[in-house]
Amino acid sequence: MPPISEALSVQIVELLPRLRRFARTLAGNPSDADDLVQICIERALTRSEQLRSDAPLAGWMFGILRNAWIDEARARARRTRVFAPEELGEHVADPAGAHAEILPVQQAMQRLPDEQREVIGLVLVEGLSYSEAAQITGVPVGTVTSRLARGREALQAILRDGEQEQA
Amino acid sequence: MKPSEETLMAYVDGELDAAARARVAGAIAADPEVAQRVAAHEALRGRLRATFDAVLEEPVPPHLVALVQARAKEPARGQLLQFPTKRTPQRAWLQWSSLAASFVLGALMWQFGSRLFAPGPLSESHGEFVASGALARALSGQLSAQQNPSDTVQIGLSFRSRRGDFCRAFHLQGSLATAGLACHDHEVWKVQVLAHDEVSQVATGQYRQAASSLPPTLLGAINEMIAGDPLDAAAEGQARAGGWQGKP
Repeated sequence: MPPISEALSVQIVELLPRLRRFARTLAGNPSDADDLVQICIERALTRSEQLRSDAPLAGWMFGILRNAWIDEARARARRTRVFAPEELGEHVADPAGAHAEILPVQQAMQRLPDEQREVIGLVLVEGLSYSEAAQITGVPVGTVTSRLARGREALQAILRDGEQEQA
Repeated sequence: MKPSEETLMAYVDGELDAAARARVAGAIAADPEVAQRVAAHEALRGRLRATFDAVLEEPVPPHLVALVQARAKEPARGQLLQFPTKRTPQRAWLQWSSLAASFVLGALMWQFGSRLFAPGPLSESHGEFVASGALARALSGQLSAQQNPSDTVQIGLSFRSRRGDFCRAFHLQGSLATAGLACHDHEVWKVQVLAHDEVSQVATGQYRQAASSLPPTLLGAINEMIAGDPLDAAAEGQARAGGWQGKP
């Protein structure tokens, strides 16, 4: 692997807090999220020559992180198929009341379909534009807006239900 | 005409041009129901940000920073003094022959002899430098997750080297900030590398991540020696409990 420039390493280090935040919107669990960031750094360093000097680093690395998460999610889906009964049971048995106090927004995010969660993370949390989010997720802008709309609706509904159960 | 839901979302997301934005602003002013829908979208956005922005305040795990920095090109700043292990004393001292190295060593010896470091953190033994005093105590006893920022010695990364022994990066705080790397070998900590740490001098008083404040040259040395990942807090605790005994 060729070494990277000092300037690029500084830029990547400065980006780490945001990469961790984005990973947390995707993975929920902090240690899984940091594992994703680590995979993202490793992949980015191997492919650093792909990065054009005029290209925005953040978008490029968000894309790598997002793809790493998709890979992990697929691997997880394969495992879930093998261990389906217990794992599904755990999720269903988790009553909203028991954990409603613990960061309901993070929990609500985890209940969104992957395709909605990633655009919510990119646009609403990271503040990227629709077209940047479209580039990262590899879908047309129209698809981003419809996923955002469905994701928002679902989040609002999950949060509202959680609050009603608490009340 | 009421703006569509999609338009209201685009408004909240900052995706509308000036003309469209003005139309939505007009609709908000004229229609409480539109205002309420926009407020709901803004509230959701605000709630998400409030939740996940907390991550930005967390310290970045040192191993992630080290992963990036270890790949950076050797920078011009900072001096790296590599102690060759298992060499004759004469050859080891040759490594010190450059003027810069002599200066740093001289300054260190002066500082180590001062009241800050009684009895001194380094001693020389058969051509190798061995940690002593406060440095030896910190290397053996201090866990990186549980140290006081005011401690004279700060431990950075701990890891297992390719030779199988445990190594730890450290900072010596003081007027001449120094960072180094020591490996546990035959019941002592042998200092492998010592670098004049300009970075932490500049950043005095500022909170810095343990790994990010290591001079890049030192991180490069760590990268050459490390086998696998740095130890996490649990593995560090286990290594200490086991007396830092590496693989035979």
